[in-house]
Amino acid sequence: MLISRSSGLLPRLRSALPLIVFGLLALFAVGPWITPHSGSTAPRTIVLYGFSILGEVMNEGVFPAFRDEWRERTGEQVELISSFAGSGTVTNQLIMGVPAHIVLLALEPDAWRLADAGLTQHRSWRNLPYGGVVNRSPFVIFVRQGNPGGISDFKDLTRPGIGIIHPDPMTSGGANWAVVAEYGAARRQDPLNPEAGYQMLLGIWKNIVALSASARGARTEFEQGFGDALITYEQEAVRDKARGRFKLEVVYPRSTILSEHTVVVVDRNIAPGERELVDAFANFLWSEKAQRIFVKYGFRSVDESLNLENPDFGKIPDPFLIEDLGGWSVARSEIIDGVWKNRVLKELKR
Amino acid sequence: MSQDVPDVPTAQTRHPSAIAPVGLLVLVLLPLLLMPLAAIFIFAFEGGFSTFITALKSPDAIFALRFSLFIAFSTAAVNAVLGTFAAYVLSKYRFPGEKPLGIVVNLPVAIPTVVVGTSLLLLWGPIGLLGIFLGKFGLEPMFTPFGVLLAHLFVTFPYMLGSVKPVLDELEATYEEAAYTMGASRWQTFRYVILPALRGGLFTGTLLTFAHSLGEFGATVLVSGNLRLRTQTAPLYIFAQFEAGNVANANAVAAVLAVLSFVIFFFLLQYTGGQGRRA
Repeated sequence: MLISRSSGLLPRLRSALPLIVFGLLALFAVGPWITPHSGSTAPRTIVLYGFSILGEVMNEGVFPAFRDEWRERTGEQVELISSFAGSGTVTNQLIMGVPAHIVLLALEPDAWRLADAGLTQHRSWRNLPYGGVVNRSPFVIFVRQGNPGGISDFKDLTRPGIGIIHPDPMTSGGANWAVVAEYGAARRQDPLNPEAGYQMLLGIWKNIVALSASARGARTEFEQGFGDALITYEQEAVRDKARGRFKLEVVYPRSTILSEHTVVVVDRNIAPGERELVDAFANFLWSEKAQRIFVKYGFRSVDESLNLENPDFGKIPDPFLIEDLGGWSVARSEIIDGVWKNRVLKELKR
Repeated sequence: MSQDVPDVPTAQTRHPSAIAPVGLLVLVLLPLLLMPLAAIFIFAFEGGFSTFITALKSPDAIFALRFSLFIAFSTAAVNAVLGTFAAYVLSKYRFPGEKPLGIVVNLPVAIPTVVVGTSLLLLWGPIGLLGIFLGKFGLEPMFTPFGVLLAHLFVTFPYMLGSVKPVLDELEATYEEAAYTMGASRWQTFRYVILPALRGGLFTGTLLTFAHSLGEFGATVLVSGNLRLRTQTAPLYIFAQFEAGNVANANAVAAVLAVLSFVIFFFLLQYTGGQGRRA
């Protein structure tokens, strides 16, 4: 060492370094509390929890639009705070007591669970426009560029040697839609064979190489290079195509389901003074402005005429809805529990 | 360094084939530790320095870093006091149940953090054992910054204790006895005799607590509610952004966290190194 230990400045600087560094970090941490706030009054807050793929469209599109509209209408500032995860995870968080005012769920059975836990009245969401369904997205298959597996429909996913990435039906709403899509498609194409749906699910689940907690997580995993095929929302592809960063290929199955996403206003968490604001936001979701934003971000609007605006929506020869399978109460007990959980998983010993 | 030079040849003659084991160690560490860390930085700067800065400038990222630091400072401060007190009690007093208590305070090291989060929710959460009563008074500690702090206090508790208690155990009782004979009270003895001796232990303990709090994930993800701009810490932000496919955003904050931990580690090394030389 060139500078002898006894000479003053450097060692003293050295021993003071932790103090300086942590002092600066502390200053950064408490910065907002010690700098004076600029005049305006504290904004009113809406807390929204949503399922995974909604993060972008809400934070970048719908929130700013509502903020502007509310300011124009009332002069008040609104702050929108959000958290996004798998639909089942979000539901569990709500039941555990997170302070959400409004929640966007991937499927209605999650809303039933909220009602069971006393967070809202049963079927309260049915009083919202379109029975609480805010937008839709068909379930499609993502494959690698050039479609090396030659996959053209769900049945191709049952071929041995195809590795499938799938969200986990225990935590992901999208995964429930995917299971119902696979089952429903098989039944519609082979209506005379009552076992067609079971065979399809068994074949697909034999090929699953990774389960992810949410649809978005599954897609990120697929993009990291795992697997040959991913079953997910069309929205994931449409949005990225528009931005020119979609590096996969979409395969539209001949028959597939259009998922329907349910809005629930969480009555238990809403103070009387917040009611008007939360209701205004809930209704805003079905305004033409918000529906156009959904379309722009790759969701299919509940207003069919708006869907013509997005050229990236693909053609589906035989789309179907959950009603066609008897609604979620039937689909849940017969398909998810009856076939997938009690037969397919048992058969595969998972 | 100059005074160390004469030692070097003897060290080499004692270990003639250092190259092979050292090389092997580096070879093992490379894919295990070094390359993953390098990958964070390579990916963080993949889109150039400006994308890195833009990613860091988003309000969510800034808040997450700020919130993490705030929680880490608070955790370190509270546990510095609590941990030192626990170490003092366990080291200086003999009482029945001392052993089990010693095990209990060290338990957080062994418990998975997710279990800590679950247990906190089941106690303080709105449907938890105590939470039900607190809720009647409008108190809901979970899903607030306070809940995050509780989780971090729990998870990092043993680090302070582990750094301070060994020093206390080894501290010669004669100094204390001398202080008492000179008429010092318990507090005066602690303040003027014991505390100065603890400086090193306090420093490393606080740094370890700070570092662990900064990186805590498992318990935080459960008790925070993961609300952006409210309770989302930096590790939660990284995970959320990664899950959402915004790998660049995740990496930018990950790189900052990595740098912070390097800095903390550097201070730790400096300090323990300095101690070693003086001893």
